[in-house]
Amino acid sequence: MQKGSIFSRTIVRIPLIIWSLAVLYPIFWMVLGAFKSNAEIYANPWGLPESFSFSNFVDAWSNYNIDASVFNSFIVTGLGATLTLAMAIPTSYALERMRFRGNRLLFTLYISAMMIPMVLGWIPLFFLLMQLNLLDNIFGLSIVYAVSQLPFSIFVLTSFMATIPKSLEEAAAIDGMSPYGILWKIITPLSTTGIITVTIMNMIQFWNEYFMALIFLQTEENYTLALAIDYISNETQYTNAWGTLFASLVIAIVPVIVLYAIFQRRIVKGMTEGAIKG
Amino acid sequence: MVQSSRQRNLFLAFCLVPTFILFAVFTLYPLFNGLYYSFFKWSGASSLAEFVGFENYRRLFSDEIIPSTIWHDYFLVITKVIGIMILSTFFAVALTQMKIKEAPFYRIVFFFPNIMSVVVIGILWMFIYNPSLGLVNSGLELIGLESWTQPWLGSEDWALPSLVLPSVWAGIGLFMLMLMGGISNISKSYYEAAEIDGATEWQQFWKVTLPLIWPQIKISILYIIITTLNGSFIIVQVMTKGGPNNSTHVMGSYLYEQAFVKYNFGYGATIGVMILVLSLVTVLIMQFLMRREKVEY
Repeated sequence: MQKGSIFSRTIVRIPLIIWSLAVLYPIFWMVLGAFKSNAEIYANPWGLPESFSFSNFVDAWSNYNIDASVFNSFIVTGLGATLTLAMAIPTSYALERMRFRGNRLLFTLYISAMMIPMVLGWIPLFFLLMQLNLLDNIFGLSIVYAVSQLPFSIFVLTSFMATIPKSLEEAAAIDGMSPYGILWKIITPLSTTGIITVTIMNMIQFWNEYFMALIFLQTEENYTLALAIDYISNETQYTNAWGTLFASLVIAIVPVIVLYAIFQRRIVKGMTEGAIKG
Repeated sequence: MVQSSRQRNLFLAFCLVPTFILFAVFTLYPLFNGLYYSFFKWSGASSLAEFVGFENYRRLFSDEIIPSTIWHDYFLVITKVIGIMILSTFFAVALTQMKIKEAPFYRIVFFFPNIMSVVVIGILWMFIYNPSLGLVNSGLELIGLESWTQPWLGSEDWALPSLVLPSVWAGIGLFMLMLMGGISNISKSYYEAAEIDGATEWQQFWKVTLPLIWPQIKISILYIIITTLNGSFIIVQVMTKGGPNNSTHVMGSYLYEQAFVKYNFGYGATIGVMILVLSLVTVLIMQFLMRREKVEY
């Protein structure tokens, strides 16, 4: 195999390095911008800061409600991910392991919902939430989020549960364990890997989500982080407080970077598998 | 398993019914209700919904903004498919076929934007395109192309093309990894055989790699089409809100404006039905066009 001579390898590296810079430079520079004063951003937008100052973070945190929206985002992310699991685990188990009439139909129904543009449903959902007193309410948003990730979660969990050997359940049933016990004490622990993958993907999704929050939340104290940042961004057109905006972007991106650093493999696997259902 | 059928049915209901009720209430019901609303003129107050038959649909066909929103969506679909597929195929081949030591580094870096929030991506790129401070204009000035500088997102001609780059930037990694998965499944012996037959690397790419990763390419293209038609409005909303002068409105952002800014909920639902129909039809057509015998050597 003569493939990848030193010459061609060097040529190929050029676009790879350029693209890496195109990805990393804006992100680094956003982080650096968060530590610069506004005057510095104007004088030298793309260079290193002269001194690191946390005043932008303080400003975003206390003057732009970022503290409340971080809290709201944590609630929505945690509650949404928990609810998704509570709904998806039992249903995935039944769809994967139990025979009943309509099994295939129900599975297809859940999976095909992944391809349907939900934007049509958001108008009626807005009025439904209003009637249920869940509009402008982070708990209402958590439920909507949880249901929106249900098809993806069922898709990943059923394919994961299919790899668990049936003999374990059969042995437990012979020992007199109830089906509830089997689901809770055998299947759930054995599905941990799949559950973690699904949960990380859902948490990133909920933490990042913008448009449903834009429609279903209205007052500033209920804003999630994405909405609060969008609000600051719109303000920046008049105030030019770029430093504060960058600080809030950094606050939004740090949890994602941490999750990516820990679970890089799982996230990649979860996303490529989620896409392949096509 | 020893259990009465009543117990079994009870367990089945426990597993399926609560989930399905929530799914029906928060996903199925709104979708069908959206279809229903599209026949009403309605500004939100529940008593004032007025049945107007196909009036909203007639309005849809005579609305001058609608054709441009459809065109903008398909412009994004086409440019994204071309940009993402060319770059991610190139990167996937480079990272699998060439023995590059630091390949895992590129994989990790290229994928990262895929998990960034659209809000963060959009705002970051708004600054990159900023007329006075942004990287694009400062870069052009640096290399002496001052005449090319633009108020990118503020220009009616350039705003829409300017949205392509952030989308490609954010999308490459996922598709590169999907294609890499396909390439790594190709047996080395095909390349060895091609080598013996005297095929150049370029020929090997066209005759061996590409046909064998066709399934992954097809899925990637369909996935880009679906996510763009169903979600392009998010980056539009963050970066331009459809402006300047409607030059970047896509179907979804126009729906948002009609329904949630102007309170024409019935008409908004009609736009939603249009999005649904167009995206399903496009996916079906593309699936038909891209069907190809499975290649096996």
